Amino acid sequence: MAIFKSIETKYREERESLFRGLQNLDRRSFLKVSGAALAATGGLAAPHSFQPVTVAADADAPESKPAFRFAYISDSHLYERDVNDRFVRGLLRAVDDVNSLDPQPDFVFYGGDLAQLGQEKELDLGAQILKNLKAPLRIMVGEHDWYLDMGQKWQDLYGEPTYSFDHKGVHFVVLNSVVEKDFWTARGMTPMERMMTVAGLDNGLQSPFSVGEPQRQWLQEDLAKLPDDARVIVFSHSPLYKLYKPWNFWTDDAEEVQAILKRFKQVVVIHGHTHQLLTNRIGNIHFHGLLSTAWPWPYAPEGMPELTVEMSRPDPFNPNDGCGDGEVAVHPDGLIDKVYNLWNRNPITVNRNYLASWGKQNVPPKPNRPSY
Amino acid sequence: MDSTRFFRSGPWLAAVCFALAGGALSGAGVAGEPAAEVPRDELGAATVAHQLELLGKLIPDAEAVKATSAFDPVVFAAHVPDDNALTPERVALGRKLYFDKRLSADGTVSCATCHDVTRGFTDRLPGSMGIGRQVGKRNAPTVLNTALLQTMFWDGRSPSLDHQARQPILNPIEMGMSSEAEALKAIAGDAEYQEAFQKAYGRKMNYEDLGRAIGAFERTLVFLDSPFRRFLAGDASALSAEAQAGWELFNGKARCAACHPMNPSNPLGSDNRFHNIGVSAKRQNFEGLAQKALTALEKDASEQNLDELAIGTDLSELGRFMVTRNRADIGAFRTPLILNIGITAPYMHDGSLATLWDVIDHYNKGGEANLYLDGGIEPLALSEAEINQLVALLFSLTDVRFAEQNQREFERQQAAAQQNRPVRDEGLALRRTLPYEDRVMGAKKSDQ
Amino acid sequence: MKNTSLRYGAGPALAGMICLLFTAAGLVGCGDSNGTPPGGVAIALASSATAAESGTVTMGCCDGKNTVTVSKELAGQPLADALMDQWKRDHPEANWVTEQREKHALLPPADNSDLLQGAQGKEHTYGNYTHLDLLTWARETEKFAAEGSRIFHSADALGSSIAVSCDMCHPHAANTHPETYPKFQPQLGRVALLRDMIDWCIENPVRGEHLDPNGPTMRALEAYIMAQRKGVPMNYGKH
Repeated sequence: MAIFKSIETKYREERESLFRGLQNLDRRSFLKVSGAALAATGGLAAPHSFQPVTVAADADAPESKPAFRFAYISDSHLYERDVNDRFVRGLLRAVDDVNSLDPQPDFVFYGGDLAQLGQEKELDLGAQILKNLKAPLRIMVGEHDWYLDMGQKWQDLYGEPTYSFDHKGVHFVVLNSVVEKDFWTARGMTPMERMMTVAGLDNGLQSPFSVGEPQRQWLQEDLAKLPDDARVIVFSHSPLYKLYKPWNFWTDDAEEVQAILKRFKQVVVIHGHTHQLLTNRIGNIHFHGLLSTAWPWPYAPEGMPELTVEMSRPDPFNPNDGCGDGEVAVHPDGLIDKVYNLWNRNPITVNRNYLASWGKQNVPPKPNRPSY
Repeated sequence: MDSTRFFRSGPWLAAVCFALAGGALSGAGVAGEPAAEVPRDELGAATVAHQLELLGKLIPDAEAVKATSAFDPVVFAAHVPDDNALTPERVALGRKLYFDKRLSADGTVSCATCHDVTRGFTDRLPGSMGIGRQVGKRNAPTVLNTALLQTMFWDGRSPSLDHQARQPILNPIEMGMSSEAEALKAIAGDAEYQEAFQKAYGRKMNYEDLGRAIGAFERTLVFLDSPFRRFLAGDASALSAEAQAGWELFNGKARCAACHPMNPSNPLGSDNRFHNIGVSAKRQNFEGLAQKALTALEKDASEQNLDELAIGTDLSELGRFMVTRNRADIGAFRTPLILNIGITAPYMHDGSLATLWDVIDHYNKGGEANLYLDGGIEPLALSEAEINQLVALLFSLTDVRFAEQNQREFERQQAAAQQNRPVRDEGLALRRTLPYEDRVMGAKKSDQ
Repeated sequence: MKNTSLRYGAGPALAGMICLLFTAAGLVGCGDSNGTPPGGVAIALASSATAAESGTVTMGCCDGKNTVTVSKELAGQPLADALMDQWKRDHPEANWVTEQREKHALLPPADNSDLLQGAQGKEHTYGNYTHLDLLTWARETEKFAAEGSRIFHSADALGSSIAVSCDMCHPHAANTHPETYPKFQPQLGRVALLRDMIDWCIENPVRGEHLDPNGPTMRALEAYIMAQRKGVPMNYGKH
């Protein structure tokens, strides 16, 4: 039999928890709060942005102001409009979300798998929609974009898949980490058959993802001139570690790539492909996954990193549940707060302290519906 | 008009009475019982005497407590608060209070004003009218069958009927009493009341018991005996073919069952959860309202203030957000129960949908796109015939004791729907156009 | 056509020789298909290498009708494998069970070999199983699940109008949790069995047509989903 607290009691409790949290906010965040007081210990987003205004309940972690922010959209898996309107709707919603951020982020990063089957019309549709982003776009390739024509159309649209750039003192590297050993020639597959094989997450005929020796060479050289305390963020479609091989949540030469990154004080890797909230840390490398705008993947039955606090199992009645977009707040030390803007849910932030403290502080909220 | 098996028709009589009723009421063209037969007060509610008479016919006194046996006893018991077990004394007291206009500041409004026995226990207005003819922002939900709801009010700010009954009495727009003490004073002089409270609760009259008594009375208002229920019980002839097809759609293509489930343990048709389905979302600046709400609630987050903000200000549109402050709850309202829905027009939290055809049109096009639209709402691609089938099903959910009223309402709504379908949008319904697209792509559409 | 190595005789040497013959000679090919029985030993030789793809050669098959095209560089077992793969693709119905197993890691049905133990078995006609019975059961059961896997992974077979297949949210049938049925399924508003939810999923996320609950498609899907959950204890009502 339920015990009913009066509404007044509940609100008093919430108010108290708010004011406790307020004491730890720096001035900039406080300005956001003072005009918009609120409670809800899960963290509430001020409607104009994804950024939660109060961080998680144990706000005793050392605070630091982000140096800049960028938004992300990933894994849209577009078909042509008359084939599938739902995925197009998802990407439109994400672009709408990012465009209505105030203030606008420094740039928008696209995490790969823009098309579902790598077809020209799909890539063109995606490119056209992304053109409507107000902030500048940085884009990465995924396996669904590549394996129909081995990246020809992609390169026409977006040029080299592997590149680096600097922004406000942070060195960004974008890899093509979905390189697969040739499994199709011996089988005499047509391009579409090859694409369909790669498109099946659980299709065992494909090879595991890798970065490959040429790109590792390139990475080594690209990073050579940086000092050990440089701030480095690596974008990769595959996770750059080995999570679950049957679903290619995997990078075959992960150890080699991690070795190249080992000398830095800390490195952040942001990856797509997994369509879920995913957090990991291996040594000095902090790994963060991206959400998809099309559909969520279930969590792997084994190999899950301990640090990941899963998102609640999505409800199939809402075709967008478990999907979304988000923002990354880059701090002066190069570590990031990763905001998962889950559609129709409260956003979840994985605070940089969570990884920095190996999971002791700023623990994200736990799910009530665990994955099976 | 296929689904008329249980309904006695009399269209020309209805038309005449409709005209008369329209004349008797102030500006809101509603059809209750024929005006010639029903004496109404200045706010349009039937007189207390008449309502009590009708209620007596609907639920004979002796049956009152027994009526609740229609619900699953385990589930029903779980919804009755520990401190308010159902007894005939409490029900009788509650009934007395429910119809008592002395509980309003100017003596014109009682619970029965907006929850009128002759009008489906609502008032058939988009927003209810309280003392001094002030109009509120929210549509009055029906009291019928509310015993199994987990929360009360459109935003669920009240955890029980007992608690809910105490709010409107103190709301300045509704019954306008300035304090609990004042409300009690209005009836304290009545010796009958003193005795009734003593008999019901074994203690002196107090405000919480007042709410409890009204809650106890409301729990007896069980009206489940509809053609639909008889159909489910095995009477294949109880539902027309059209309504049966509607039931298939309800569970299938139209996706109704997920939020409006009806099953023997809880036949109400509400999942007790909160969804933003985009009603009136077009007119809202949710972001601005949310900021305003947070400011207002920071100053005063008491029950009383929440009640006033919800009923009387444009913050009403925020719905559940006012209670939980969850972003996902912006513009979200509790799924209402759908039993007897035929006689409780107009629909939605603000009464903005006048007929059930409008309601289906709204869902068919995927609600109104807004940033907080519940993800389960999507365009349904229903044809006209399918819409008619769903409406036929919905009208079959009305208890047979209200059959005449239901039939009149069906005809009235059908006539109105044939004239005008204001929320209909075929392009969205058939998924030819996509929400957000215009806003994202700007003036030019994407061309493939 | 069960076994590649048998078909192509005594291993790589022979295959290599055949390859040489084909590439060296521009021999006139099979083209016509009168009467040459399938499985005949004589290999009808193809017409000269097609100009369509350089580095490949077209070879005739012994059924007298079909041809296959392979890369010129292959020889020996890899050539044989390539020919086998091509044949498999042209005849997708042939080794579809193995294909499903290969592609989608189908779990095998339970091991029933303990039915062959126990003295009472021999004395009881209905209990007197042989390993051949067990083999037949295993093959049939696996085929049923493999068919389900084929449908599960194919948007077309599911009748999806938006090119969505089940494995897009349920790779390897993850997150289908068949062991939790029957349970109150909120999306349906009532208590459901596994197949009710399968049907709901097909009508909603997959946007296909309603499946007959007793039809072969539904039954195969159910079989595959349950097969993938082998070994998990039953727990009806779990959400």
